[in-house]
Amino acid sequence: MKILFYLHMHQPWRLARFRYLDLGSGRPYIDRERNLAIFRGIAERCYRPALDRLIEATSNFPDFRFSLSVTGTFVEQAEAAAPDVLDRLARLVKTGQVALVGETYYHSLAFLLPAPELAEEVDRHAAMLKERFGAEARVLRMTELAYSDDLARFAESRKYSAMLAEGWDGLLHGRSPNHVYCAASAPTVRLLLRNYPLSDDVGFRFSSREWPEYPLLSEKYVSWLGQSPGDVAGLFMDFETFGEHHKAETGILDFLAALPGAVDRDRRLSWGTVEDALALPPVAPLAAPVTMSWADANRDLGAWLGNDLQRSAFEAAKKLGTLVRTLGDPVLLEEWRRMLTSDHFYYMYVGGHGADLGVHQYFSSYGTPYDAYANYMNALTDLRQRTVSALGRRDPEKRSPPVASAPEQ
Amino acid sequence: MVGWEFPPHHSGGLGVHSYELCRELTRMGHRVTFLTPFPGPFTPVNGVEFRHPGDHQDEAPEFPEAYWTGQLEGSPFGEAIDGYNAWIASGSGIGRIDIVHVHDWFGTVGGTELARRLRVPVVMTVHSTEYDRSLGHPWERILWRERFGVQNADAVIAVSHHLARQLEERYAARPERIRVIYNAVRPSPRLTPVTSARRTVLYLGRLAAMKGVDTFLRAAARVAPAFPDALFVVAGEGPEYPRLVDLAVHLGIADSVLFLGHVTEDERVVLLASASVFVLPSIVEPFGIAALEAMAAGVPVILSKTSGVAEMAKSVFAVDFWDTEEFASRIAELLIYPVLQSTMGEGGRADALREGWPERALQTVGVYAELLRGPGGRT
Repeated sequence: MKILFYLHMHQPWRLARFRYLDLGSGRPYIDRERNLAIFRGIAERCYRPALDRLIEATSNFPDFRFSLSVTGTFVEQAEAAAPDVLDRLARLVKTGQVALVGETYYHSLAFLLPAPELAEEVDRHAAMLKERFGAEARVLRMTELAYSDDLARFAESRKYSAMLAEGWDGLLHGRSPNHVYCAASAPTVRLLLRNYPLSDDVGFRFSSREWPEYPLLSEKYVSWLGQSPGDVAGLFMDFETFGEHHKAETGILDFLAALPGAVDRDRRLSWGTVEDALALPPVAPLAAPVTMSWADANRDLGAWLGNDLQRSAFEAAKKLGTLVRTLGDPVLLEEWRRMLTSDHFYYMYVGGHGADLGVHQYFSSYGTPYDAYANYMNALTDLRQRTVSALGRRDPEKRSPPVASAPEQ
Repeated sequence: MVGWEFPPHHSGGLGVHSYELCRELTRMGHRVTFLTPFPGPFTPVNGVEFRHPGDHQDEAPEFPEAYWTGQLEGSPFGEAIDGYNAWIASGSGIGRIDIVHVHDWFGTVGGTELARRLRVPVVMTVHSTEYDRSLGHPWERILWRERFGVQNADAVIAVSHHLARQLEERYAARPERIRVIYNAVRPSPRLTPVTSARRTVLYLGRLAAMKGVDTFLRAAARVAPAFPDALFVVAGEGPEYPRLVDLAVHLGIADSVLFLGHVTEDERVVLLASASVFVLPSIVEPFGIAALEAMAAGVPVILSKTSGVAEMAKSVFAVDFWDTEEFASRIAELLIYPVLQSTMGEGGRADALREGWPERALQTVGVYAELLRGPGGRT
């Protein structure tokens, strides 16, 4: 059994409070300093100590292999707030024991927008990987592990060999997630699936004292992996699991440090990157007519587009896209793309029960979803006004009527 | 229960709270003797006996209406309060009781004395403090009664955590004796919003300095030019009325502001049903029951962070009371984004109705029970 250990690194550009009265003021939408301060904190608690343990493990255990994805907005913030984090990442990549995974540069919902937005964002991310790490990704993941038949076809068109997806029964229909599958819609695209019970043991449950298995030590965890039947086990989680979601005092960093050796000692198990898994033949094609994700109990897009606030905000952003693309101004295009980052919509989540609601509140940078929505819409309205007036300047004969105060919804 | 105002004669949260609490307590099978200085008439409640000085032909001072007219200084008000308290303490015509429950400062001295004589616990509910009502210039004749009540009660109920902290800071109330029990609002069938050519942004409450109605008008002046269809309605009366009218004129928004003066219960319901946005910009607001009523009516609410409602409600915009720009922006955001207005209205309604008076009464009975069986109980 190959352990496919995959960690996702992302930080969004959170918006500043942008009031209705700030429309037209030229104030930036993003509070750069606040974002960088947050980044520095997480770098201290998580990125540095966890990367150091991973670097050490790669030198102590030559068979230790794993995978990473790094969003463009993460790299931008790291560069400004903690460049040593990028140095550590580069060191890891240089060992040859780490595979990088492709995705959108902005951790965005571009997969719901008309082409070619998604392709452009994925290409931009690929260019960033190449430039910064000299790496080329063969495996693609979508934001929040979104996956569908259409996305598999997209991956095929961009020459990716595999996609990551949630090992959810809605996709597997009783099969085990511990095999390599292929996309029914694009059979050349392999599917590598997240074993969510085993992943969530670490990602969610590790520090829960109510969990009967608490405390989770590496030996016990590795024995579960050893007993899990199949060819591969996808342990996919946020990188921030190690030191941020679970703080150092929970013992999570020690767990991370002990894991490579513990797997090494178990003869049933071996480490592999997502690219190593491509050597395995797919056991069956899987169809996903509806887009799924790795979030919440329903594994759908409800966390981002489940309520009226989220849908109206996304529709407004989508409409603005037509204007921004028509204009083609690189500054406005960049600002618009940052508004597509999925986190903005996640903050507008209202409903939810039990565990899901707790998770949403933990990740929100706003007091309430209404704050998040109003703020987002103000910034978007401002961006729209700037776009419309720039279009008016460019094509005076096609000048649009003055921007009404209400945005299109 | 030692009270003051009671429907239909009431001007704020205290009267509503007393009435609803009496109703729920009697429904649960408890009997309530409600002491008030006024002869009524009061909205009758089954199982509640109203008592006032002089109703049993015993000696009782005549009570002036000075409180209502706001002319306390130089009136015989102090003497009347003393008389009211003496009458309470005498326990004239009161049968066997298990607990004395005093609301606010009016009857603290008499209520405490009565409880001491009958060897029963005394509970005090604080709805607001004299510091708040006077915006930091408390009247000593009221202050000491309030302090006396808080310090001598076996349990103090505050209508918000904000108020509870104040009681600790101002009156050295012992934290272990304080319980927070919020106000509530009765669920009502949702009314069809009154359609009108202009969308209303509503302030509904007394026009007192502590209510921060200035901020409402200044915020209105910031957004009115962009929303010619918006009407800013100020409903209520109070000492600030003439100054606020002047301010509206001075701000150049006289055409966008409507002062309604006193509104009846029925008008209140219609106003809430037709409002697009409700604003409560109070400098001080121990609870803010009008905001809760607006929420129950499905109207999105913007209120100051210090209000009690802001503690218990998630689906509101809570703003620093001095931040006019933020109030203005929040008003504009609710007017401009219809999805925000409807979603927040729905969320607010759910927040407001999550716990009602039956829950509040049960929580209150929980406080009684704690005292009656606990080591602090005097029975």
